[in-house]
Amino acid sequence: MSGRDPGLQPERTLLSWQRTVIVLVAVALLYVRDPFQDGGEPGPGALVRVAVALVPIGAAAAAMVHVRRRWRATGHGAHDDATGQAPAPLARGWVRVLVGAATAVFAVAVAVSALTG
Amino acid sequence: MAGTRPSGGGRQGEDPGDPGRGHGDRAGRESEPDYRFTLANERTFLAWIRTALALVAGAVAVLHLVPLDWSGPARLTVGLALTVLAVVITAYAPMRWLQVQRLMRRGAPLPLSALPVVTTVGVALVCGAVLVGNFWG
Repeated sequence: MSGRDPGLQPERTLLSWQRTVIVLVAVALLYVRDPFQDGGEPGPGALVRVAVALVPIGAAAAAMVHVRRRWRATGHGAHDDATGQAPAPLARGWVRVLVGAATAVFAVAVAVSALTG
Repeated sequence: MAGTRPSGGGRQGEDPGDPGRGHGDRAGRESEPDYRFTLANERTFLAWIRTALALVAGAVAVLHLVPLDWSGPARLTVGLALTVLAVVITAYAPMRWLQVQRLMRRGAPLPLSALPVVTTVGVALVCGAVLVGNFWG
């Protein structure tokens, strides 16, 4: 047993992180799409949207960089240096907080920008 | 695939070279749960975040993207309901992570949570409102 989990739990967790990052970026792009779709000059509202969308996109980039880096540092999820077992959790706590907070802030910004104009 | 699977009985360490981790201790002390349970907890957290993001996508569609000929209030109600549900889920996901992690350290049973039901009812209500908005709005 050279550390490879037969249920591929670390791999599944890595893929779960990837799905989450992809959804974060996709929803952010969905939000930015609107002002450009009728071919007109984008107004100042478009800049606000891009700024808001940078919150989830930035969180997604940070999460992906962190998880990939940790994935490589732990021998592709085989062993954490501290415990000798698979890294658990795969990402550090601040990444979970960051991704959750970015999602919440983005949700509120979507609602507020609909209310104000 | 035979052999090492997480059993339902709480914590269990398969690696004989690692006595300090994963074995439930009868003295009632706390120890880190089996790494597979921790990873499963992490995936559950991520699944909740994706659920919240799907609701935000719905809110973006209703509030900003899709040209709907609904009345303004109907549109806002549906969009804001989706947003509120998403914010509730993003607040709940880290709390649930902590709760489950703490209980697994103790080897205690995991209680059911109310949020799956809340989410289901909320999404069903939004679906109902969308139907009403489409046909009578």
